[in-house]
Amino acid sequence: MDNEQLLAEIREANLTYLMLAQNLIRKDRAEALFRLGLSEEAADLLVMLSPAQMLKIASSNMLLCRFRVDDDLVWNLLTNHNVKKVENGTTTRLHASILMAGRFADSMAAAH
Amino acid sequence: MAAVKSILNESRDIERAVALIQLGARLQVLEYETSLSYERLLRLYKEVAGKSPSKGQLPFSTDWFLTWQPNIHASLFLNIHEYLSKSSEIEEIDAVIKAFRLYSEQMTASAIEPLLSITRAWRLVKFVDSGMLTLTKCSCCGGHFVTEPYENARHFVCGLCQPPARAGKGAASGGLRLH
Repeated sequence: MDNEQLLAEIREANLTYLMLAQNLIRKDRAEALFRLGLSEEAADLLVMLSPAQMLKIASSNMLLCRFRVDDDLVWNLLTNHNVKKVENGTTTRLHASILMAGRFADSMAAAH
Repeated sequence: MAAVKSILNESRDIERAVALIQLGARLQVLEYETSLSYERLLRLYKEVAGKSPSKGQLPFSTDWFLTWQPNIHASLFLNIHEYLSKSSEIEEIDAVIKAFRLYSEQMTASAIEPLLSITRAWRLVKFVDSGMLTLTKCSCCGGHFVTEPYENARHFVCGLCQPPARAGKGAASGGLRLH
């Protein structure tokens, strides 16, 4: 894959992300904050973007959305690696969901 | 505030009641959360659900939330609920409705039978509000789990880091398994 193509794919992913985020926020703001892991301020900015602005922002060599799992424990649970007592994939993923929902609530509380 | 009769408030109440009935809530939840009369709620219930509401008392004990499998479901729901009510300013009953929808979505996505009903979920939030249950941080994974309020946070280990001996051995399909 040449560089041109890579950049086109990043732009595509960015645009898809921005449009999805806008749709989610317009449909149900509170739910969208949970699904996207965004702050209220970021959501307010995102939802105001015009299509032309979105196109401009999407054309970048950087991805706009970032990896949400920033923690080894959650990652191991999601991928079912390095688990000790519980080795059932569904159960470990449920454990990961509890941790993710809790951690973001933590960071949200710290930010306010 | 409740004494003021407003058509707008009433329409919001009806909207909430319909959402709750669709999620399978018991009539007592609707009576508590809306200012609609019992007769109107009953009619609404029959119209939306197509049947009469089930009778009988609501589950009133906190024990159910502390047994292994229900505790995991309750903890996931309550974490989502906390997230929603901390990140946006929404009324409590709306947070319950939204959190329950998100919880159900995850259950469907992972093909687990949703053990928590909307009535139980609502009860859980009331128990937490009144200080009968709380979220305690697991000293092993750092996740927050539903516990009794006097649980010792320094030594608390959740049911997923340290499952009890008989956990995950039930015959019911759709239940959680350890292996």
